Amino acid sequence: MPKFLQSALAFVRTYFALLVVFAVFLWSAFVIVAFRSQQTPPGSVVIRLGHWQLEASVREGIDEMARLYREKHPNVVVIQDAIPEGTYGQWVSTQLMGGTAPDILQVGAMLPANIWLSYYNRYFFPLSRYVNAPNPHNAGTDIADLPLRQTYKDGMKTAYVTEMQEYMSVPLSLFGVRIFYNKDLLKQLTGRDEAPRDYRDFLAVCDQIRAAVNADTGQPYIPIAGSQYHFAHWDGMMFSPVTYGAFRRADFNRDGFVGNDETFVAFKTGLLDFYYPPYALWLKMLREVTDYFQVGYTGLGRDEAVFLFAQQRAVFMTTGTWDARSLQEQAKGQFEVGIMDFPIPSRDDPVYGEVVEGRIYESPGGGFQFGVSRNSKNVDVAVDFLLFLASQQGNEKLNGIIGWIPAIVGTELDPLLQAFEPHLEGIYGNANFTLGGNTAVTWAQRYSLYQVNQISFDDFAREYTEYYVRTGLEDFLEQQRDWRRGMQRNEQYLAGIRGRAILADQAAAAARTPEEQSAAALDAESAWVRYRAITASRQIWGELNHARQMDLVKRDKLPEGFVGPYEYSSNVLAKIRQRLRDEASK
Amino acid sequence: MARNFGRRTEGFIDMDHRTTQFARVLLAGLLALGLAACGKKTDHAGDVATLIGDGWTAYRLSEYSNAILAFEAARAAAEKGSADWAMATYGLATVWDLRRPGEDSKQATQLYQEILAAAPESPMIPWTELALARQQHLVPVGQEPDYAAVNQAYRHILDQFPGHLAAKEAFLYLQSIQLAQLEPKSTRAAVAQLEDFVAREKKEFLSPAWSLLAVGYHTLGDQEKRLRAEKNSFETTEVDPSDPYIEFAWAYWNLGTIAEFEVGDFDLARKYYQLLIDTYPKDIRVYGCKQALARMDALEAQIRAEEGI
Repeated sequence: MPKFLQSALAFVRTYFALLVVFAVFLWSAFVIVAFRSQQTPPGSVVIRLGHWQLEASVREGIDEMARLYREKHPNVVVIQDAIPEGTYGQWVSTQLMGGTAPDILQVGAMLPANIWLSYYNRYFFPLSRYVNAPNPHNAGTDIADLPLRQTYKDGMKTAYVTEMQEYMSVPLSLFGVRIFYNKDLLKQLTGRDEAPRDYRDFLAVCDQIRAAVNADTGQPYIPIAGSQYHFAHWDGMMFSPVTYGAFRRADFNRDGFVGNDETFVAFKTGLLDFYYPPYALWLKMLREVTDYFQVGYTGLGRDEAVFLFAQQRAVFMTTGTWDARSLQEQAKGQFEVGIMDFPIPSRDDPVYGEVVEGRIYESPGGGFQFGVSRNSKNVDVAVDFLLFLASQQGNEKLNGIIGWIPAIVGTELDPLLQAFEPHLEGIYGNANFTLGGNTAVTWAQRYSLYQVNQISFDDFAREYTEYYVRTGLEDFLEQQRDWRRGMQRNEQYLAGIRGRAILADQAAAAARTPEEQSAAALDAESAWVRYRAITASRQIWGELNHARQMDLVKRDKLPEGFVGPYEYSSNVLAKIRQRLRDEASK
Repeated sequence: MARNFGRRTEGFIDMDHRTTQFARVLLAGLLALGLAACGKKTDHAGDVATLIGDGWTAYRLSEYSNAILAFEAARAAAEKGSADWAMATYGLATVWDLRRPGEDSKQATQLYQEILAAAPESPMIPWTELALARQQHLVPVGQEPDYAAVNQAYRHILDQFPGHLAAKEAFLYLQSIQLAQLEPKSTRAAVAQLEDFVAREKKEFLSPAWSLLAVGYHTLGDQEKRLRAEKNSFETTEVDPSDPYIEFAWAYWNLGTIAEFEVGDFDLARKYYQLLIDTYPKDIRVYGCKQALARMDALEAQIRAEEGI
């Protein structure tokens, strides 16, 4: 064998492992480059879009929208990076930190809010200037002249990051939760074509279902497929809104809500207890409805309940818009899926009539939000593609394919989703019984026992109230220990705005032309107004709010002559009476 | 193992020298490429103003190490005591003061003091004094501020720089501390100061001053004045010219409930509840506003029936 070959063989033998790694690397690089060049013809502008929605319809929807966009802009290619939920947080972090992030990224979940805030600040492009201008893709529609934010059903409120005073994302869909039901099974077991809308009718139907037995298997039918995941839907959408009326007694600062500090003081001073009708009836309804869940539901996860429903062993199950299309697909050829609103008691219901004032208020907050990365080499194209998705026509098309609710006004809703139309006026829950630490743990224990009927209402009310009133203050003080930390974070942020404003002042002073001077002055004014607004809303009130909260929670009795927050004092009543007399005498 | 290793070594020695050299160069090149890709150190060259701008941009992006490099380079490039030097030093002190993690309060204080000593005529002096006062006020978790020293520091700013934005900010912090005592004596003193401020001030921090006044009047039990102060606070809210959209749903609700329950001015209450319903029809409080309108109508009807009018 020639000496050269011997040497080469020896080299290969010595560095075999390293060479294999190197060869694999080269192969991977070749495959990726070949694949990318196949996807992106020479000269094209590539927009990469990263998200965590692995549902097939989402990918189809985005691909179709990319195709439609390409009809208008033939040189733009949109490539999706669909990353599983479980790893999205890590993936997005490494991509952003490594400077390799896609141009457009889904934002707002899979990481804690404070992490997203720091990422927005560091890695994302503020979108406020686009938000306050009309969306060019709405040209020719009835919303052509409206600023982008006003074209949203929710006013684009979820896109606004208060800490930054900037809009940082473009939401594309709305979401909601409703009850899905097996229409065929309902008909077979109860003779009804439609699901009951009234609470009493619903309970009666559940009784009928529970009494029926599957002739093939000999197993009884389950009225409601439940799990701990599904319980949260029922509690949030149907049970806890019964507690709305508690604000009339305990909303001491009259902001419209009962905070955990207010509930605690109301319990301590005897204004509220678990026998107060809104609370007692909330817990009563919870027990009544969950009695129709399958046994042991608290220990089950989401999939077990979905399995029961898909196997046609249960008639009702809650879920959200995100599952609507896939559930419909799963049931195809087996049974027809219906969607109904949560059944609520009527105002003349003998038990609940006094506390149920209406349906729950559903905030039409936009989700499926996307931000534009600062790393993007084509920011304008990336923003334009998002505006295309957020246009009236584009948003309707995208959500029509995915099976979700469009976020833009004047869009048509998929017929399947019409039951998801949010209630824009209504009530909300005012139940907040934990103050952190030990009260949270004790609440979770007692509440779970009550849910599964292992503790009576009287025992639950007595045991938890004793513990809550005895240890609540300690928990609250512990939670409040680091109240200044929030102010320090604000101070850090404000210093940045102050620095920018001072520089903007200097730029205005140094401007050479009147136009430059005017633009710089506007920039400076904007920065100073933001600075003053955040200082006023965050920093000035810290000391005062803390003092007022501490003053409230330490109260053991009500002040003399106490008047409920939504009651008129005798002085005010006298004043109103006098005014009416004066008006009548004129 | 030892024999195998020996055979491999022998083979390696026998290898063609050029091949070995090529392999070494290739590996070294790949290593160098890899290291180069790991990251680049920010190059801080340019004029002082650019460096200061870079420093603040890096600070806002939480790139604290780069901010320090930029501010240090600007400080070194500027003449000690000049306006640029003061601005660069202020930026550097701010980073050490407020960066988390890695803060160094002592170094920050030292730098702030250095500005006061070396650049007494700099426009950054009021902001530097405010930063020193804030350091005393925003103490670490678990500690209580020395309020006497904090109040003195804020008063010092008011005395030294009347009319400056930093002084107006210090004034509001000072009054907030007084009002937070929630007792009549300190509240009366703060109310007097705030009344004087709103009488003089035309724009900057006017709205929060009215708002603090409303708190003071509430503590003193003067609900008519509280309502007027809240109304003035709402009407003097500053609007950002680059983003004129501000949501007033909470302000309408607040004014409506004070007018209804504290003052009994149903006309005003109706006006604000109706404004919320009309302007923010999707707000969570719309149901509450409609309830309030019905409640007032019912009460008036009841009184009219009782009075026979």
